[in-house]
Amino acid sequence: MKAVARWARFSVFARSFLIQGSWNFRTMLGGGFAFALLPFLRRLFGDDPVALRAALQRHTEHFNAHPYMAGAALGAVCRMEEDRKDPEEIARFKRAVRGPLGGLGDVLVWVGWRPLTVLAALVLALVGVSPVLTVVCFLVLYNAGHLALRIWSFRVGLQKGSHVGDPLRRMALPLQADRLAAVGVFLLGGLVGLLVHQGWLLGGWALTLLCGTGGVWGLWLGGLVGQRGWKWSIWGTSIIITSLLVFGWIA
Amino acid sequence: MSLTLLAILGGLLALDGTSVGQVMVSRPLVAGVLAGWVMGDPFLGLLIGGILEVYFISVFPVGGSEFPEGGPPALVAVATGAAIPETADMAAGIALGVLVGFIWSRIGSGSVQALRQLNGRLVPDPSRREVSQARIVWAHLAGIGLDFVRGFLLSVGGLVFGPWLARSLAEQWPLGMPATLGILAVGASLPAGAFVRSLGGWKRRAAFFATGLMGFLVGSALL
Repeated sequence: MKAVARWARFSVFARSFLIQGSWNFRTMLGGGFAFALLPFLRRLFGDDPVALRAALQRHTEHFNAHPYMAGAALGAVCRMEEDRKDPEEIARFKRAVRGPLGGLGDVLVWVGWRPLTVLAALVLALVGVSPVLTVVCFLVLYNAGHLALRIWSFRVGLQKGSHVGDPLRRMALPLQADRLAAVGVFLLGGLVGLLVHQGWLLGGWALTLLCGTGGVWGLWLGGLVGQRGWKWSIWGTSIIITSLLVFGWIA
Repeated sequence: MSLTLLAILGGLLALDGTSVGQVMVSRPLVAGVLAGWVMGDPFLGLLIGGILEVYFISVFPVGGSEFPEGGPPALVAVATGAAIPETADMAAGIALGVLVGFIWSRIGSGSVQALRQLNGRLVPDPSRREVSQARIVWAHLAGIGLDFVRGFLLSVGGLVFGPWLARSLAEQWPLGMPATLGILAVGASLPAGAFVRSLGGWKRRAAFFATGLMGFLVGSALL
Protein backbone atom coordinates (compact mmCIF):
# COMPACT_ATOMS: atom_id res chain seq x y z
CA MET A 1 0.00 0.00 0.00
CA LYS A 2 2.78 2.45 -0.77
CA ALA A 3 1.85 3.48 -4.30
CA VAL A 4 -1.12 5.69 -3.52
CA ALA A 5 -0.33 8.62 -1.24
CA ARG A 6 -1.19 8.36 2.43
CA TRP A 7 -3.25 11.54 2.06
CA ALA A 8 -5.61 9.91 -0.44
CA ARG A 9 -6.22 7.02 1.96
CA PHE A 10 -6.82 9.45 4.80
CA SER A 11 -9.32 11.32 2.60
CA VAL A 12 -11.23 8.09 2.03
CA PHE A 13 -11.35 7.49 5.79
CA ALA A 14 -12.44 11.08 6.49
CA ARG A 15 -15.16 10.86 3.83
CA SER A 16 -16.41 7.60 5.34
CA PHE A 17 -17.96 9.79 8.08
CA LEU A 18 -20.28 11.15 5.36
CA ILE A 19 -21.00 7.79 3.71
CA GLN A 20 -24.73 7.95 4.51
CA GLY A 21 -25.14 11.49 3.14
CA SER A 22 -27.14 10.36 0.12
CA TRP A 23 -28.75 7.24 1.66
CA ASN A 24 -31.60 6.09 -0.58
CA PHE A 25 -33.77 3.04 -1.17
CA ARG A 26 -32.30 2.32 -4.64
CA THR A 27 -28.53 2.15 -4.12
CA MET A 28 -28.53 2.64 -0.32
CA LEU A 29 -24.88 3.52 0.46
CA GLY A 30 -23.84 3.25 -3.22
CA GLY A 31 -23.50 7.00 -3.80
CA GLY A 32 -21.70 7.48 -0.48
CA PHE A 33 -19.32 4.63 -1.23
CA ALA A 34 -18.27 6.18 -4.54
CA PHE A 35 -18.05 9.63 -2.90
CA ALA A 36 -15.71 8.27 -0.21
CA LEU A 37 -13.52 6.37 -2.70
CA LEU A 38 -13.24 9.28 -5.12
CA PRO A 39 -9.91 10.81 -3.86
CA PHE A 40 -8.27 7.38 -3.95
CA LEU A 41 -9.57 6.47 -7.41
CA ARG A 42 -8.59 9.90 -8.76
CA ARG A 43 -5.08 9.33 -7.51
CA LEU A 44 -4.93 5.75 -8.78
CA PHE A 45 -6.39 6.35 -12.25
CA GLY A 46 -5.45 10.02 -12.61
CA ASP A 47 -3.78 9.49 -15.97
CA ASP A 48 -6.48 7.20 -17.33
CA PRO A 49 -9.90 8.91 -17.42
CA VAL A 50 -11.60 5.90 -19.03
CA ALA A 51 -10.50 3.57 -16.22
CA LEU A 52 -11.49 6.18 -13.63
CA ARG A 53 -14.97 6.50 -15.12
CA ALA A 54 -15.38 2.72 -15.24
CA ALA A 55 -14.32 2.42 -11.58
CA LEU A 56 -16.78 5.14 -10.54
CA GLN A 57 -19.52 3.39 -12.47
CA ARG A 58 -18.82 0.16 -10.56
CA HIS A 59 -18.69 1.75 -7.13
CA THR A 60 -21.92 3.74 -7.48
CA GLU A 61 -23.85 0.48 -7.59
CA HIS A 62 -25.97 -0.79 -4.70
CA PHE A 63 -24.07 -1.27 -1.45
CA ASN A 64 -25.07 -1.37 2.19
CA ALA A 65 -23.30 -1.90 5.50
CA HIS A 66 -23.27 -0.49 8.99
CA PRO A 67 -21.79 3.03 8.63
CA TYR A 68 -19.02 2.35 11.18
CA MET A 69 -18.07 -0.97 9.54
CA ALA A 70 -18.27 0.30 5.95
CA GLY A 71 -14.65 1.38 6.42
CA ALA A 72 -13.61 -2.29 6.24
CA ALA A 73 -15.12 -2.55 2.74
CA LEU A 74 -13.71 0.83 1.70
CA GLY A 75 -10.20 -0.12 2.86
CA ALA A 76 -10.40 -3.54 1.23
CA VAL A 77 -11.62 -2.06 -2.07
CA CYS A 78 -8.75 0.48 -2.01
CA ARG A 79 -6.34 -2.40 -1.62
CA MET A 80 -7.97 -4.49 -4.35
CA GLU A 81 -8.14 -1.58 -6.80
CA GLU A 82 -4.49 -0.81 -6.15
CA ASP A 83 -3.56 -4.46 -6.72
CA ARG A 84 -5.47 -4.16 -10.04
CA LYS A 85 -7.82 -7.01 -9.20
CA ASP A 86 -10.44 -8.01 -11.72
CA PRO A 87 -13.48 -5.63 -11.51
CA GLU A 88 -15.82 -8.62 -11.35
CA GLU A 89 -13.89 -9.96 -8.33
CA ILE A 90 -14.20 -6.59 -6.58
CA ALA A 91 -17.94 -6.49 -7.30
CA ARG A 92 -18.30 -10.05 -5.94
CA PHE A 93 -16.36 -9.06 -2.83
CA LYS A 94 -18.65 -6.08 -2.20
CA ARG A 95 -21.73 -8.24 -2.63
CA ALA A 96 -20.30 -10.82 -0.21
CA VAL A 97 -19.37 -8.44 2.62
CA ARG A 98 -22.34 -6.07 2.67
CA GLY A 99 -24.58 -8.46 4.66
CA PRO A 100 -22.03 -9.44 7.34
CA LEU A 101 -20.73 -5.87 7.76
CA GLY A 102 -24.29 -4.65 8.20
CA GLY A 103 -25.33 -7.41 10.61
CA LEU A 104 -22.19 -7.28 12.75
CA GLY A 105 -22.30 -3.51 13.07
CA ASP A 106 -26.00 -3.49 13.93
CA VAL A 107 -25.58 -6.06 16.70
CA LEU A 108 -22.35 -4.61 18.05
CA VAL A 109 -23.19 -0.89 17.90
CA TRP A 110 -26.95 -0.26 17.66
CA VAL A 111 -28.01 -3.16 19.91
CA GLY A 112 -24.92 -3.36 22.14
CA TRP A 113 -22.65 -0.35 22.52
CA ARG A 114 -25.08 2.54 22.04
CA PRO A 115 -27.78 1.44 24.52
CA LEU A 116 -25.08 0.48 27.03
CA THR A 117 -23.49 3.95 26.96
CA VAL A 118 -26.91 5.64 26.99
CA LEU A 119 -27.94 3.63 30.06
CA ALA A 120 -24.62 4.41 31.76
CA ALA A 121 -25.31 8.12 31.14
CA LEU A 122 -28.86 7.83 32.52
CA VAL A 123 -27.52 6.10 35.63
CA LEU A 124 -25.00 8.95 36.06
CA ALA A 125 -27.82 11.49 35.75
CA LEU A 126 -29.92 9.68 38.36
CA VAL A 127 -27.07 9.54 40.88
CA GLY A 128 -26.83 13.33 40.65
CA VAL A 129 -24.13 14.11 38.08
CA SER A 130 -24.81 17.48 36.41
CA PRO A 131 -26.64 17.38 33.03
CA VAL A 132 -23.73 18.80 31.03
CA LEU A 133 -21.18 16.45 32.61
CA THR A 134 -23.54 13.49 32.03
CA VAL A 135 -23.74 14.28 28.34
CA VAL A 136 -19.98 14.90 28.04
CA CYS A 137 -19.29 11.52 29.71
CA PHE A 138 -21.72 9.81 27.31
CA LEU A 139 -20.21 11.43 24.20
CA VAL A 140 -16.62 10.66 25.24
CA LEU A 141 -17.38 7.04 26.15
CA TYR A 142 -19.57 6.34 23.13
CA ASN A 143 -17.22 7.95 20.63
CA ALA A 144 -14.14 6.25 22.08
CA GLY A 145 -15.72 2.96 20.95
CA HIS A 146 -17.14 4.47 17.78
CA LEU A 147 -13.84 5.94 16.55
CA ALA A 148 -11.86 2.86 17.57
CA LEU A 149 -14.21 0.68 15.50
CA ARG A 150 -14.05 2.98 12.46
CA ILE A 151 -10.23 3.20 12.55
CA TRP A 152 -9.78 -0.53 13.17
CA SER A 153 -12.18 -1.62 10.42
CA PHE A 154 -10.62 0.73 7.83
CA ARG A 155 -7.10 -0.41 8.73
CA VAL A 156 -7.89 -4.14 8.54
CA GLY A 157 -9.59 -3.52 5.21
CA LEU A 158 -6.48 -1.79 3.85
CA GLN A 159 -4.15 -4.46 5.21
CA LYS A 160 -6.11 -7.59 4.34
CA GLY A 161 -7.93 -6.61 1.16
CA SER A 162 -10.31 -9.35 0.08
CA HIS A 163 -9.31 -11.40 3.17
CA VAL A 164 -10.84 -8.85 5.53
CA GLY A 165 -13.17 -11.56 6.87
CA ASP A 166 -10.31 -13.31 8.72
CA PRO A 167 -9.62 -10.59 11.33
CA LEU A 168 -13.37 -9.98 11.67
CA ARG A 169 -13.85 -13.65 12.53
CA ARG A 170 -10.89 -13.62 14.95
CA MET A 171 -12.34 -10.65 16.80
CA ALA A 172 -15.46 -12.76 17.52
CA LEU A 173 -17.64 -9.67 17.30
CA PRO A 174 -20.93 -11.50 18.04
CA LEU A 175 -19.39 -12.71 21.33
CA GLN A 176 -18.36 -9.13 22.19
CA ALA A 177 -21.88 -7.99 21.35
CA ASP A 178 -23.30 -10.64 23.69
CA ARG A 179 -21.11 -9.36 26.54
CA LEU A 180 -22.18 -5.78 25.84
CA ALA A 181 -25.80 -6.95 25.92
CA ALA A 182 -25.32 -8.51 29.36
CA VAL A 183 -23.84 -5.26 30.72
CA GLY A 184 -26.67 -3.31 29.05
CA VAL A 185 -29.35 -5.37 30.82
CA PHE A 186 -27.46 -5.02 34.13
CA LEU A 187 -27.44 -1.22 33.71
CA LEU A 188 -31.15 -1.25 32.78
CA GLY A 189 -31.82 -3.09 36.04
CA GLY A 190 -29.70 -0.50 37.85
CA LEU A 191 -31.66 2.31 36.25
CA VAL A 192 -34.94 0.76 37.37
CA GLY A 193 -33.52 0.33 40.90
CA LEU A 194 -32.55 4.01 41.05
CA LEU A 195 -35.96 5.04 39.70
CA VAL A 196 -37.73 2.98 42.36
CA HIS A 197 -35.66 4.66 45.07
CA GLN A 198 -36.24 8.16 43.65
CA GLY A 199 -39.96 7.38 43.22
CA TRP A 200 -40.15 6.36 46.86
CA LEU A 201 -38.54 9.64 47.97
CA LEU A 202 -40.61 11.78 45.59
CA GLY A 203 -44.05 10.17 45.66
CA GLY A 204 -44.22 7.89 48.71
CA TRP A 205 -44.83 4.15 48.92
CA ALA A 206 -48.37 4.11 47.46
CA LEU A 207 -47.40 5.79 44.19
CA THR A 208 -44.17 3.74 43.97
CA LEU A 209 -46.14 0.52 44.44
CA LEU A 210 -48.70 1.56 41.82
CA CYS A 211 -46.11 2.61 39.25
CA GLY A 212 -43.90 -0.36 40.13
CA THR A 213 -46.78 -2.75 39.38
CA GLY A 214 -47.46 -0.95 36.10
CA GLY A 215 -43.76 -1.01 35.30
CA VAL A 216 -43.47 -4.77 35.87
CA TRP A 217 -46.43 -5.35 33.52
CA GLY A 218 -44.86 -2.99 30.99
CA LEU A 219 -41.49 -4.78 31.11
CA TRP A 220 -43.21 -8.15 30.70
CA LEU A 221 -45.43 -6.94 27.85
CA GLY A 222 -42.46 -5.27 26.13
CA GLY A 223 -40.60 -8.56 26.30
CA LEU A 224 -43.56 -10.22 24.59
CA VAL A 225 -44.22 -7.73 21.79
CA GLY A 226 -40.57 -6.87 21.03
CA GLN A 227 -39.83 -4.23 18.41
CA ARG A 228 -43.44 -3.03 18.21
CA GLY A 229 -43.20 -2.03 21.89
CA TRP A 230 -41.96 1.50 21.32
CA LYS A 231 -44.85 2.30 18.98
CA TRP A 232 -47.42 1.00 21.47
CA SER A 233 -45.90 2.93 24.35
CA ILE A 234 -45.70 6.18 22.36
CA TRP A 235 -49.33 5.84 21.26
CA GLY A 236 -50.49 4.81 24.74
CA THR A 237 -48.64 7.61 26.55
CA SER A 238 -49.79 10.20 24.00
CA ILE A 239 -53.43 9.14 24.47
CA ILE A 240 -53.11 9.26 28.28
CA ILE A 241 -51.50 12.74 28.25
CA THR A 242 -54.13 14.05 25.83
CA SER A 243 -56.96 12.52 27.90
CA LEU A 244 -55.60 14.11 31.08
CA LEU A 245 -55.39 17.50 29.34
CA VAL A 246 -59.02 17.16 28.18
CA PHE A 247 -60.04 16.08 31.69
CA GLY A 248 -58.20 19.08 33.21
CA TRP A 249 -59.82 21.43 30.71
CA ILE A 250 -63.33 20.10 31.47
CA ALA A 251 -62.70 20.09 35.25
CA MET B 1 -32.04 32.55 21.84
CA SER B 2 -33.70 33.39 18.54
CA LEU B 3 -35.85 30.92 16.63
CA THR B 4 -33.44 31.00 13.68
CA LEU B 5 -30.43 30.01 15.78
CA LEU B 6 -32.39 27.21 17.50
CA ALA B 7 -33.60 25.98 14.11
CA ILE B 8 -29.99 25.98 12.83
CA LEU B 9 -29.12 23.84 15.86
CA GLY B 10 -32.03 21.56 14.86
CA GLY B 11 -30.64 21.29 11.33
CA LEU B 12 -27.21 20.31 12.67
CA LEU B 13 -28.76 17.74 15.01
CA ALA B 14 -30.69 16.26 12.07
CA LEU B 15 -27.43 15.85 10.13
CA ASP B 16 -25.92 13.78 12.92
CA GLY B 17 -28.91 11.42 12.82
CA THR B 18 -27.84 9.75 9.56
CA SER B 19 -25.91 11.89 7.12
CA VAL B 20 -22.84 13.16 8.94
CA GLY B 21 -20.68 11.39 11.50
CA GLN B 22 -23.32 9.84 13.73
CA VAL B 23 -21.39 10.88 16.85
CA MET B 24 -24.73 10.73 18.71
CA VAL B 25 -25.27 14.40 19.50
CA SER B 26 -28.66 13.67 17.92
CA ARG B 27 -29.67 11.28 20.74
CA PRO B 28 -32.61 12.76 22.67
CA LEU B 29 -30.54 12.81 25.87
CA VAL B 30 -27.75 14.89 24.31
CA ALA B 31 -30.00 17.06 22.13
CA GLY B 32 -32.29 17.67 25.12
CA VAL B 33 -29.46 18.82 27.41
CA LEU B 34 -27.93 20.89 24.59
CA ALA B 35 -31.29 22.56 23.93
CA GLY B 36 -31.89 23.08 27.66
CA TRP B 37 -28.41 24.54 28.06
CA VAL B 38 -28.90 27.12 25.29
CA MET B 39 -32.33 27.99 26.73
CA GLY B 40 -30.89 28.36 30.23
CA ASP B 41 -32.34 25.19 31.83
CA PRO B 42 -30.14 22.11 31.23
CA PHE B 43 -31.96 20.17 33.99
CA LEU B 44 -35.27 20.43 32.12
CA GLY B 45 -33.41 19.31 28.99
CA LEU B 46 -32.00 16.31 30.85
CA LEU B 47 -35.42 15.35 32.22
CA ILE B 48 -37.29 15.54 28.90
CA GLY B 49 -34.36 14.21 26.84
CA GLY B 50 -33.83 11.34 29.29
CA ILE B 51 -37.51 10.35 29.18
CA LEU B 52 -37.53 10.39 25.34
CA GLU B 53 -34.29 8.41 25.36
CA VAL B 54 -35.83 5.53 27.35
CA TYR B 55 -38.92 5.52 25.10
CA PHE B 56 -36.61 5.16 22.05
CA ILE B 57 -34.11 2.73 23.62
CA SER B 58 -35.42 -0.31 21.75
CA VAL B 59 -35.33 1.42 18.37
CA PHE B 60 -32.44 0.35 16.16
CA PRO B 61 -31.91 2.18 12.84
CA VAL B 62 -31.13 -0.97 10.84
CA GLY B 63 -31.21 -1.01 7.04
CA GLY B 64 -34.02 1.06 5.61
CA SER B 65 -36.29 0.70 8.63
CA GLU B 66 -38.49 3.57 9.75
CA PHE B 67 -37.48 4.86 13.16
CA PRO B 68 -38.48 7.90 15.26
CA GLU B 69 -36.09 10.81 14.88
CA GLY B 70 -34.32 11.95 18.06
CA GLY B 71 -32.46 15.24 17.60
CA PRO B 72 -34.79 18.01 16.37
CA PRO B 73 -37.82 16.52 18.21
CA ALA B 74 -35.89 16.60 21.52
CA LEU B 75 -35.02 20.25 20.84
CA VAL B 76 -38.67 21.03 20.15
CA ALA B 77 -39.78 19.06 23.23
CA VAL B 78 -37.48 21.04 25.52
CA ALA B 79 -38.57 24.35 23.95
CA THR B 80 -42.17 23.30 24.62
CA GLY B 81 -41.43 22.42 28.24
CA ALA B 82 -39.59 25.70 28.76
CA ALA B 83 -42.45 27.76 27.34
CA ILE B 84 -45.10 27.03 30.00
CA PRO B 85 -46.40 30.09 31.88
CA GLU B 86 -44.84 30.81 35.30
CA THR B 87 -48.16 30.01 37.00
CA ALA B 88 -48.18 26.42 35.67
CA ASP B 89 -46.50 23.42 37.31
CA MET B 90 -43.25 22.16 35.78
CA ALA B 91 -44.99 18.77 35.48
CA ALA B 92 -47.18 20.30 32.76
CA GLY B 93 -44.08 21.36 30.85
CA ILE B 94 -42.68 17.84 31.01
CA ALA B 95 -45.95 16.16 29.95
CA LEU B 96 -46.50 18.60 27.06
CA GLY B 97 -42.83 18.50 26.07
CA VAL B 98 -42.85 14.71 25.87
CA LEU B 99 -46.15 14.72 23.93
CA VAL B 100 -44.84 17.23 21.36
CA GLY B 101 -41.54 15.29 21.23
CA PHE B 102 -43.47 12.13 20.29
CA ILE B 103 -45.47 13.92 17.58
CA TRP B 104 -42.35 15.55 16.13
CA SER B 105 -40.38 12.31 16.19
CA ARG B 106 -43.06 10.75 13.96
CA ILE B 107 -43.11 13.75 11.62
CA GLY B 108 -39.31 13.64 11.56
CA SER B 109 -39.41 9.95 10.71
CA GLY B 110 -41.77 10.62 7.79
CA SER B 111 -39.56 13.42 6.51
CA VAL B 112 -36.48 11.15 6.64
CA GLN B 113 -38.32 8.60 4.48
CA ALA B 114 -39.32 11.33 2.02
CA LEU B 115 -35.72 12.56 1.84
CA ARG B 116 -34.52 9.03 1.13
CA GLN B 117 -36.97 8.81 -1.78
CA LEU B 118 -35.68 12.14 -3.09
CA ASN B 119 -32.05 11.02 -2.71
CA GLY B 120 -32.93 8.04 -4.91
CA ARG B 121 -33.67 10.47 -7.74
CA LEU B 122 -30.55 12.55 -7.11
CA VAL B 123 -27.86 9.86 -6.98
CA PRO B 124 -26.57 8.64 -10.35
CA ASP B 125 -27.99 5.36 -11.60
CA PRO B 126 -25.03 3.34 -12.92
CA SER B 127 -27.27 1.05 -14.96
CA ARG B 128 -28.82 3.93 -16.93
CA ARG B 129 -26.20 6.55 -17.61
CA GLU B 130 -22.51 7.19 -17.38
CA VAL B 131 -21.41 8.34 -13.95
CA SER B 132 -19.25 11.45 -13.61
CA GLN B 133 -17.20 12.67 -10.66
CA ALA B 134 -19.12 15.93 -10.54
CA ARG B 135 -22.47 14.12 -10.48
CA ILE B 136 -21.40 11.88 -7.58
CA VAL B 137 -20.09 14.82 -5.51
CA TRP B 138 -23.06 17.06 -6.33
CA ALA B 139 -25.68 14.41 -5.52
CA HIS B 140 -23.99 13.48 -2.28
CA LEU B 141 -23.53 17.03 -1.01
CA ALA B 142 -27.09 17.87 -2.11
CA GLY B 143 -28.36 14.97 0.01
CA ILE B 144 -26.50 16.33 3.04
CA GLY B 145 -27.71 19.89 2.36
CA LEU B 146 -31.31 18.74 2.03
CA ASP B 147 -31.05 16.84 5.30
CA PHE B 148 -29.95 20.05 7.02
CA VAL B 149 -32.84 21.98 5.46
CA ARG B 150 -35.24 19.21 6.54
CA GLY B 151 -34.02 19.43 10.15
CA PHE B 152 -34.16 23.24 10.04
CA LEU B 153 -37.76 23.31 8.78
CA LEU B 154 -38.83 20.55 11.15
CA SER B 155 -37.41 22.56 14.04
CA VAL B 156 -39.02 25.83 12.91
CA GLY B 157 -42.43 24.13 12.78
CA GLY B 158 -41.95 22.57 16.21
CA LEU B 159 -40.56 25.74 17.78
CA VAL B 160 -43.69 27.60 16.69
CA PHE B 161 -46.23 24.87 17.50
CA GLY B 162 -44.79 23.47 20.76
CA PRO B 163 -44.48 26.71 22.77
CA TRP B 164 -47.92 27.83 21.50
CA LEU B 165 -49.43 24.54 22.74
CA ALA B 166 -47.60 24.86 26.07
CA ARG B 167 -48.89 28.39 26.64
CA SER B 168 -52.44 27.36 25.69
CA LEU B 169 -52.76 24.09 27.64
CA ALA B 170 -50.22 24.05 30.49
CA GLU B 171 -52.74 25.35 33.03
CA GLN B 172 -55.08 22.41 32.27
CA TRP B 173 -52.57 19.72 33.36
CA PRO B 174 -54.20 18.11 36.41
CA LEU B 175 -51.31 16.11 37.90
CA GLY B 176 -48.30 17.00 40.05
CA MET B 177 -44.71 16.02 39.38
CA PRO B 178 -44.64 12.57 41.09
CA ALA B 179 -47.75 11.28 39.29
CA THR B 180 -46.62 12.73 35.93
CA LEU B 181 -43.20 11.09 36.17
CA GLY B 182 -44.90 7.88 37.34
CA ILE B 183 -47.10 7.71 34.23
CA LEU B 184 -44.11 8.38 31.97
CA ALA B 185 -42.03 5.72 33.79
CA VAL B 186 -44.76 3.10 33.32
CA GLY B 187 -45.04 4.06 29.63
CA ALA B 188 -41.27 3.78 29.20
CA SER B 189 -41.22 0.31 30.76
CA LEU B 190 -42.72 -1.20 27.59
CA PRO B 191 -39.82 -0.23 25.27
CA ALA B 192 -37.42 -1.18 28.07
CA GLY B 193 -38.94 -4.68 28.05
CA ALA B 194 -38.69 -4.77 24.26
CA PHE B 195 -35.04 -3.80 24.60
CA VAL B 196 -34.40 -6.79 26.90
CA ARG B 197 -36.01 -9.04 24.29
CA SER B 198 -33.62 -7.66 21.64
CA LEU B 199 -30.70 -8.51 23.94
CA GLY B 200 -31.67 -12.15 24.38
CA GLY B 201 -34.97 -12.14 26.24
CA TRP B 202 -36.02 -12.28 29.89
CA LYS B 203 -35.19 -15.96 30.42
CA ARG B 204 -31.58 -15.43 29.41
CA ARG B 205 -31.01 -11.99 30.96
CA ALA B 206 -33.21 -11.94 34.07
CA ALA B 207 -30.26 -12.58 36.40
CA PHE B 208 -28.33 -9.57 35.05
CA PHE B 209 -31.41 -7.36 35.34
CA ALA B 210 -32.18 -8.51 38.89
CA THR B 211 -28.54 -8.03 39.99
CA GLY B 212 -28.49 -4.50 38.61
CA LEU B 213 -31.88 -3.66 40.15
CA MET B 214 -31.08 -4.96 43.62
CA GLY B 215 -27.52 -3.65 43.60
CA PHE B 216 -28.45 -0.10 42.66
CA LEU B 217 -31.61 -0.06 44.80
CA VAL B 218 -29.79 -1.20 47.94
CA GLY B 219 -26.77 0.98 47.11
CA SER B 220 -28.83 4.14 46.66
CA ALA B 221 -30.90 3.40 49.80
CA LEU B 222 -27.75 2.94 51.89
CA LEU B 223 -26.03 6.03 50.51
